[in-house]
Amino acid sequence: MHESILTHARSRYLWVSLALCAISLALYVWHDPGMTPNGGTWLGYTLGTVAAALIVWLMLFGIRKRSYSTTLGSTRGWLSAHIYLGTALILIALLHSGFQFGWNLHTFALVLMLAVIFSGFFGVYAYLRYPTLMTRNRENATRDAMLDEIGEIDQNALALADGIAPEIHGVVLRSIENTKLGGGVWTQLRARDGSDIAIARIRAALQQRSNTQIGAKPVALQAGQTIVAMVDFLAGHADDKQSEAMRKLIDMLSRKRALATRVARDIQYQAVMEIWLYLHVPLSVTLLAALIGHIVSVFFYW
Amino acid sequence: MRWLIRRVLKKGKNSISYEEDTHYGEMLTIGRASDQAIFLPDIRAALNHARVTSLGSGQYRVESLIIAGIRVNGEITYAITVGAGAVIEIGATRLTLIAAPQDHDAAVEVAAIDKGEQAFIIALRKKPTSLSQTWIGKRWPSWVGFVTVLAFGLLLPITSHFVPVVDTLLSHSPLPSTAAWETGELDAAHRHFGDDCKACHQNAFLMVRDTACTSCHANTKAHADPALFNISELGDARCGTCHKDHNGERGMVSTDQRLCSDCHADLTARTEGASQIVDISDFGDAHPQFHVNLPGWSADGEFTPKSLPWTAGLRENSGLKFNHLAHLKADGLNTPDGRKTLSCASCHTPEPGGAAMKPIAFESMCRECHQLGFDSLAPEREVPHADVAAVVYTLDEYYARRGLEGGYADARAPIVVQQRRRPGSPPLSRQEQVEALAWARDRAREAARTLFTGKACVTCHSVAPPGPANADWKIAPVRVSGIWYVEAHFTHARHETMACADCHGDAETSKASNDLLIPGIDNCRQCHGGATAQGKVASTCIACHDYHRSPVLTLDTGAKK
Repeated sequence: MHESILTHARSRYLWVSLALCAISLALYVWHDPGMTPNGGTWLGYTLGTVAAALIVWLMLFGIRKRSYSTTLGSTRGWLSAHIYLGTALILIALLHSGFQFGWNLHTFALVLMLAVIFSGFFGVYAYLRYPTLMTRNRENATRDAMLDEIGEIDQNALALADGIAPEIHGVVLRSIENTKLGGGVWTQLRARDGSDIAIARIRAALQQRSNTQIGAKPVALQAGQTIVAMVDFLAGHADDKQSEAMRKLIDMLSRKRALATRVARDIQYQAVMEIWLYLHVPLSVTLLAALIGHIVSVFFYW
Repeated sequence: MRWLIRRVLKKGKNSISYEEDTHYGEMLTIGRASDQAIFLPDIRAALNHARVTSLGSGQYRVESLIIAGIRVNGEITYAITVGAGAVIEIGATRLTLIAAPQDHDAAVEVAAIDKGEQAFIIALRKKPTSLSQTWIGKRWPSWVGFVTVLAFGLLLPITSHFVPVVDTLLSHSPLPSTAAWETGELDAAHRHFGDDCKACHQNAFLMVRDTACTSCHANTKAHADPALFNISELGDARCGTCHKDHNGERGMVSTDQRLCSDCHADLTARTEGASQIVDISDFGDAHPQFHVNLPGWSADGEFTPKSLPWTAGLRENSGLKFNHLAHLKADGLNTPDGRKTLSCASCHTPEPGGAAMKPIAFESMCRECHQLGFDSLAPEREVPHADVAAVVYTLDEYYARRGLEGGYADARAPIVVQQRRRPGSPPLSRQEQVEALAWARDRAREAARTLFTGKACVTCHSVAPPGPANADWKIAPVRVSGIWYVEAHFTHARHETMACADCHGDAETSKASNDLLIPGIDNCRQCHGGATAQGKVASTCIACHDYHRSPVLTLDTGAKK
């Protein structure tokens, strides 16, 4: 069976984290500070030290995953521990706080920590889900291969369109110009390829045309000008040879569209797998500052 | 119109040559068709792709003839007016519109874009396909977050601690000051100076000093003298050891039993015998019997209560004679105002504070029935409930007046006393006066004897007649302790839900005033247990005892005195 980051080494770090949580919880329940539980009791200081050490260690993962030469455990082992111990941190930090919250630096640090951890949860979800989807989406091709094929189709489509009519050539040219894969953050995440989205609909339009009376006006479609132009052309003055070429062209463009969609989805999957890190990492560094502030301020006003 | 078409031809690596052509026509047509002014044999060009019109004075109008548009200066457009220097790109060809030379009306330079440059342009126009190519990053937000939080969360408050002006400024701004460090709500009493952290936290990185506390809590009593008792905890304890603020409204006073039991569980051993206090660790199962304060008097009559361990048969000696049973008769008592049934509250009413009961007052509680009349001929006259001298003085005065006034209808009295004086009667002779006053003195003595030994005083008081030891009547002193348990603070007010008899049940059957009607520890333990007691009121030491209890030492003068 494939060993995931969650089941690494027979879920060793799951058990480590559960043990850590169980010990912390047991101590918390057993400990009677004689006042409201808070971070200033011996258990509070202990849990706080453990939590701070965990945060620093969890942040070291950013360094560890870049040091390829180290022999100190596998990166997957580190990631597995990173996930489980990071999750355990929620409980340890909450117990450290004694569930006292307020509008202060301390609770701010806690909120930051929770934000970091929950963004990490999304990362776990993405890492477990998207690599499979990505592989399936690529269908054994690479993104570059797909992009090369799109370029090839563009050239062939232009040549084919040129043989039909200048208008069709212009339409295909425009379609090429409009095919823009990638883009800003939002575009990548939404998987919009920007290619002429209406191409697939042209089949429906053609189908409809053969069903309706010959000579009838083409149905007003909400699609882009490409379809309107092509359907107009077919409806108006296309002979059989041109119609045949048109169908071929449409097949070609459909294939291109499918490819473009797949590339866009590939970009989307990659973006989703990365986007959370753009929160996770800066928030964790910010958390480090809040943690320093928390510790220093608590002992500044001891 | 004369168009100059200059073709740029590359020969070899760095050598360029130009080929110039003149085109006559209103406009410059561009496309793949052979009739175009600029013929582009490129599949990416339409047959009639675009046209350029010269508007004169170096201005050109570029119009696309196809639906795909045309790229002018890097942007796709359908029609645009541009100046000289504008660049049109179609496929692998770059057309640059240039200023017309002298003998032409318009000019264009045509150059091929080589493969390397084409690839570069394509790469340049490519949209980012991964997030790392977009504007978002990890490094700069990390720095911004780190520096911002450190600056506003730590450095700014620290500055406000050391620079009062900054503190004042910050307190009038929404920026975080040291208030952002407050770990929890202050105790209610500390909030009136709560904005000023330095009121308590005087030194950075040092725990709150005791002097910060005693600057307000000046007269707080110390617990015990560490010089006498060799307990490190006593000398080392800070105020903050027990009193930890920032734990909400009622978090300041710790009621934890261990605060006491940590030392008192084995105090004798801990103080190496210096302490005489019995080891105590829990009210429920490790607390000795109470010591009750019984009334007592020293040889010279001074009230000196004696502290004795409570036992079931313990007697007290308040000096009073009182029979609770007789007074609490269920069917009532005969009183001048008719039949009355007394209850505890008839005599025992709480003090305003509700802790103890008001002292018993003869005038308001006893006198209604126990009147101090002394003369059947004048039943309304009473002696005051006062000391012996005042009583005797009242009697002497009364009978002297009655003797001298006359008209005292007692057959045993001399004639002069019985005789009523009429207006105009001659004054008493010297002889008569002596006789009347002699009667008065005897009568007063008799009345005193009757009061002290017969029906009045002796009912409640122990009375000794005049004798060799004392010239006058002597009433034994009367006093109850008032506070029976001086080391604890019991309050009736907190026990209002109880009936009197729940604790003082013996009072209902007590016939003798020396019955001790104050209950011992077992009575309390019916309801109260120690800190961990099950099914009882959890009562830690602080419930009854004070920590700050030293009669001589206060915290501000220092326990080292």
